[in-house]
Amino acid sequence: MNLIMHLRINADRVIRLLLLGYLALVFFFIFTPIVTSIIFSFNSERFPTIPLGSFTWKWYQTIYADADVWEAAKTSIVVAISTSILATLIGFCTAYTDFRYQFRGKNSYLVLALLPPTIPLIILALAMLAWFSRLGISGKIWTIVIAHTVLCAPFAMAVIRLRLQQMDPDLESAAWNLGASEWAAMRNIVVPFTKSAIISALCLTMAVSFDEFAVAWFVSGLNKTIPVIILEILQGNIDPQINAIGTFVFVTSITLVIIAQLFFILRSPKQPTHV
Amino acid sequence: MSEPQIVFENVIKRFGDTVAVDKMNFSIEQGEFLTIMGSSGCGKTTTLRMLAGLETPSEGEIRLAGKRINEIKPSDRNTPLVWQSLALFPFLNVVENVEFGLKMRSIQSHDRKQRAMKWLERMEISEFANRPVAQLSGGQRQRVALARALVTEPPVLLLDEPLSALDANLVVRMQGVLSRLQKELGITFVYVTHSQSEAFAMADRVVIMSQGLIEQIGTPKQVFREPATRFVAEFVGSNNILTGIISKIENRKLHVDTEIGLVIADQSGHDDLATGNPVDIVISADRLNLYSLDSPDEADSSSNKYRCKLVSEEFIGAIVTLLVETENGTELKIQKQQKDLDKDLSNVNLETGQQLWVSWPGESVYIVPAKQSAKFVSPNSPTCPPTFSTG
Repeated sequence: MNLIMHLRINADRVIRLLLLGYLALVFFFIFTPIVTSIIFSFNSERFPTIPLGSFTWKWYQTIYADADVWEAAKTSIVVAISTSILATLIGFCTAYTDFRYQFRGKNSYLVLALLPPTIPLIILALAMLAWFSRLGISGKIWTIVIAHTVLCAPFAMAVIRLRLQQMDPDLESAAWNLGASEWAAMRNIVVPFTKSAIISALCLTMAVSFDEFAVAWFVSGLNKTIPVIILEILQGNIDPQINAIGTFVFVTSITLVIIAQLFFILRSPKQPTHV
Repeated sequence: MSEPQIVFENVIKRFGDTVAVDKMNFSIEQGEFLTIMGSSGCGKTTTLRMLAGLETPSEGEIRLAGKRINEIKPSDRNTPLVWQSLALFPFLNVVENVEFGLKMRSIQSHDRKQRAMKWLERMEISEFANRPVAQLSGGQRQRVALARALVTEPPVLLLDEPLSALDANLVVRMQGVLSRLQKELGITFVYVTHSQSEAFAMADRVVIMSQGLIEQIGTPKQVFREPATRFVAEFVGSNNILTGIISKIENRKLHVDTEIGLVIADQSGHDDLATGNPVDIVISADRLNLYSLDSPDEADSSSNKYRCKLVSEEFIGAIVTLLVETENGTELKIQKQQKDLDKDLSNVNLETGQQLWVSWPGESVYIVPAKQSAKFVSPNSPTCPPTFSTG
């Protein structure tokens, strides 16, 4: 009896260690390239070799002076902000529809709403390009915004929907019951309740749009975004300024994702628990 | 002649194929404390939600102060509801929760704060005004919910099982608070509950519902002593219910053949019954008496007397609940004050299996004609006379 217990505890410990090791490996493979890239962005040597040369800001100064990079950064930021606002708005509406209404075909509605991220990016990008060309609107900044909004809205919806699921449906009815019109209840109850999720969705969709390459590459035309310009520089030559841009993109994205996570986890006001 | 404050006229509510409320007709007087009681799914909450405008009747008409309100939006009604879940707004503090109804009516910030604080004081929770609601206890949250609902000074307050989340002691305290509040404000309370004790403790009248239908409307005493249907008799509990057929009517006494033998009951109030009619017989558990076998006959002159054996005995405070079994195996429930029981049994100690007499006087038997439909009782309306003689 004792022996079996002992063995079982030992087996648990071994499994725990194996899982921890697995987790460490996952993190290692994800972060090593990123960290390497950050380190080499401060390295004075032209080629990424070890031993490292001296510390330098040179590559950052190069991209700072590059008008093309500035132009791309501006495009990326405009696209990311517009996309995040549009995608969050659409995501909120979709999630609220799901929360509030029961209707025939609701499941198909949800599947359709969540579909875009499951389509391979290349196919989505090609389809967008073909469609925009047919309409004669390809290669404009706002075509990138439309394409990114399609891609990002499901993320926003998923985040906001999770928060709405925690809302007591009586809250909204209670607001009507106390004299709030449907709009007033939306403004005073639903939006404040989901505020943390809305901020989270804004950050998340902004990060996705800022990082996105494939769709942007197909539909951007002359309005290159940052990931597109990175590819162009890479195709030209091996140049450590890529590491500098990469670091900039990584820091921006990870900041947005962390903010999104914080708002999502903290979910500021807690529901009172009903006993 | 003015109409009662709230009138339900042939109201039907369907959800898809299911009928939640079926042909409901009743009225509520201004200032009345009306309780709607029934088991879950009987349509009581649907009825309340229709009053609040959160559900629209499928058919029929609901009138408030003489005006049809079927199509009026919930926000335009001023029929605040105290929710079972309380539904306090978690991201607002106590005073902001209470102010909400005033804010929605575009009342100036200073004014609404003052009115909200007045209600917090009245509910004795003003010291928590700036706390988030999550930090309050169950009873305090209950008071916030009440203050929030009452701050607009509505003509009617709706309450949907508001005490169901509280522990037993607190329930009794809050019952007192609610009763007093209702009397002081003089407004109508419509209170939905499944708890008999809550209903009986506070209500002027009780509506008992089952499967979307009204089984009985009456004062708590009427519902308790004179159940209109077998369902009501079973629902209010502590009743013994026997089924039988009238075999003879003699000197205004009904002779009924039941599973325990012949039972004799007064005919008063049942002039329409005839020999051969099936009836249910209801005897409240506190009306039954127990005597030991050797007690002298003159100790008990009741017309109904049966030999039985004691099955179980249970004490709750000063009240004893006994189960006895008659000779043909029917169980009867008896509830007595301990001191009355001691007197009847001349202080003999009871043992399980012991043979005894169980008896009850003919006037304590209440007759329910079998399959009787619901009756409409309104205290003030002359068009709807009370169905039962009281007393």
